[in-house]
Amino acid sequence: MKRQHCWVLLVAATSTVTVASATDLEMAMSKSSNWAAQAGDYANHRYSELKQINAGNVGKIQVAWTMSTGVLRGHEGSPLVIGDTMYIHTPFPNNVYAINLKDQSYKWKYEPKQDASVVPVMCCDTVNRGLAYGDGKILLQQADTTLVALDMNSGKVLWSAKNGNPKIGETNTNAPHVFKDVVVTGISGGEFGVRGRLIAYDIKSGKKLWQAYSTGPDKEMLVDPAKTMTWTNGKMAPIGADTGIKSWKGDQWKLGGGTTWGWYAYDPKLNLVYYGTGNPGTWNPAQRPGDNKWSMTLFARDLNTGMAKWAYQMTPHDEWDYDGVNENLLVDLTIKGKKVPAVVHFDRNGFGYTLNRETGELLVAEKYDPTVNWATKVDMKTGRPVVDKKYSPGTTGPDVNVKDICPAALGSKDQQPASYDRKSGLIMVPTNHVCMTYEPFQVEYTAGQPYVGATLTMYPTPGSHGGMGNFIAWDAATGKIAWSKPERFSVWSGALTTAGDIVFYGTLEGYIKAVSTKDGKELWKFKTPSGIIGNVFTYEYGGKQYVGTYSGIGGWAGIGMAAGLTEATEGLGAVGGYKDLAKYTTLGGSLFVFGLPDTTSTATTALQ
Amino acid sequence: MKHSTQRVMKWSTVVLSLSIAAVCVSASDAPAAGANDSRAGEALYQVQEGNKVDEKTLKGWKTWRALACERCHGAEQEGMVGPSLVESLKKLSKEDFHNIMMNGRPEKGMPPFNTSAMVNENWEGLYAYLKGRSDGKIQPGRLQPIP
Repeated sequence: MKRQHCWVLLVAATSTVTVASATDLEMAMSKSSNWAAQAGDYANHRYSELKQINAGNVGKIQVAWTMSTGVLRGHEGSPLVIGDTMYIHTPFPNNVYAINLKDQSYKWKYEPKQDASVVPVMCCDTVNRGLAYGDGKILLQQADTTLVALDMNSGKVLWSAKNGNPKIGETNTNAPHVFKDVVVTGISGGEFGVRGRLIAYDIKSGKKLWQAYSTGPDKEMLVDPAKTMTWTNGKMAPIGADTGIKSWKGDQWKLGGGTTWGWYAYDPKLNLVYYGTGNPGTWNPAQRPGDNKWSMTLFARDLNTGMAKWAYQMTPHDEWDYDGVNENLLVDLTIKGKKVPAVVHFDRNGFGYTLNRETGELLVAEKYDPTVNWATKVDMKTGRPVVDKKYSPGTTGPDVNVKDICPAALGSKDQQPASYDRKSGLIMVPTNHVCMTYEPFQVEYTAGQPYVGATLTMYPTPGSHGGMGNFIAWDAATGKIAWSKPERFSVWSGALTTAGDIVFYGTLEGYIKAVSTKDGKELWKFKTPSGIIGNVFTYEYGGKQYVGTYSGIGGWAGIGMAAGLTEATEGLGAVGGYKDLAKYTTLGGSLFVFGLPDTTSTATTALQ
Repeated sequence: MKHSTQRVMKWSTVVLSLSIAAVCVSASDAPAAGANDSRAGEALYQVQEGNKVDEKTLKGWKTWRALACERCHGAEQEGMVGPSLVESLKKLSKEDFHNIMMNGRPEKGMPPFNTSAMVNENWEGLYAYLKGRSDGKIQPGRLQPIP
């Protein structure tokens, strides 16, 4: 009798949460003292209302405390802060530490035992993009495709779920994302011929709710041929039947890639999840004629059912490895005098896209690096890029080396997330400024073995400022660069904008910088021990604002680039390439936290 | 030019291969095998002008390329997260090479390639190619058949 009662209550509580009331995550995100999600919110803004640290005093901030993560590999993502606890994560083996902010002692540690055989099948270093929080749980997506829910107070495993198979090259680097009562995660392995998908779990039980493939039959893709819409000849139209099969030759869609390792966003009003899919399987375009749908695509899916409301393919029939996984920022813009609920996406292919996030209509598509040359423009009627044959390895065919394609495979921007300045309406974007040579060749598929099929070299954009990156401010309503600050290396670190009129980001040399949101003027910088590829975050504790970042070089910029550069530097002169990086940095693994100097506490320390 | 190129390679070796330092050490334990490989006067590989090689060695290079070995060992075999094969092949015997190719060194990040038909067919050519690179006789990058 008593038991039955409890059941009724529980069901009632659950349904209330789904329908209306805020979840504990939503309540945590509404307080700017917390950093409760990787982006700080559902909309991927990476913006904080905190302004104790501001343009006027940021020059005075100094190290408040530091902590070693104990792992010397690429540190992407950022910690989370909820109340008096910080949750930090590491690259493989993906340790999680809960830190008491009062005295920086460990509350608990979670150190998973993972089979090391997953490491060789990880693409570009053993990175992990961080944790998620919701329903009293800390969610970790391990490299070995195990999703784990930990009790936020004890670190005890509450449930775990398996979302892939490393034996066929499936791994994970993405952060899990919590939207309402759903945990959404993806899969990596685009260089191993895996079939990408987005997977959703019930946060209470760990039960799989739905799974949506990027390629293949409509049923497995969770698309409706009559209701899922895409931009067609200047308007939205249904995608039609079996597009995920017909746009491929034979069974190639089964090795189709379209992996999902980026940062997802969620609009609670529309109940839609936004994410992008990665490159199609094999980098040799000759082996996969067709548009290769729906690789390189932005999807808007219903959170509860996974059904796609709309899709937009940025790079049909990819010939350059321009993955479409980069984050989507949900912002409300005024375009040509009309208010639009927009989604803004900075694609690897060098175009900054603005779409109507409710309908999927294409509104703006402009180059956010003027040196992008593989396409002259995006045809706004068809929505397709106008490819320059001179830079098209698919046109020249296998075993021909195509030179000076801009951007390089790692894109005008990779996973390093942009930040939305709610005050100016501009988006602050960390970018790469790198070009490449690309030579495709025939490959055969063997499960669990690399399935790449192209040789690449990458180098700083010729005839430019000599550096390999820029930090820019972007007007997404018009598709124009507001200001641009050249950087010596690719800016592989996620940006943070605050109400203090400053934007923070890290550099591969190891600097964390604060620049003015108005003009990009540098206001403060500090050299950490290793290159920064993590995302800057902020929180408030004990009435004080702190800003932090991981310091630990790696990722594709740290590993792939250094090798690719060897041949590429020939003929380019002594440009400021990666060779200089060795002067500044080496491997590392630490967390840095900064704040304004606290004169009172300094005095107390001195007295003691 | 060439100079700066080399410095990049060195840096990537030093900075990014700390975690696999142990591999290099164990590789040096392997018996020297150079002499055994060209017994009876039979050359392991033939090379002209540094970039034209015999059919078997060419297939070895194509295997190197198809299996994306450069992702760990570097575009010029100089080493990255995996050890320098220019160095390793100075000491590694053909038998040990075969053994590592087939069984991998999972604990160090080297996967087994025994399931790859291309490796099973061409591992000797791959050994010849890497030996030629290690000997400094074959140039890095694209190769062609001897006409």
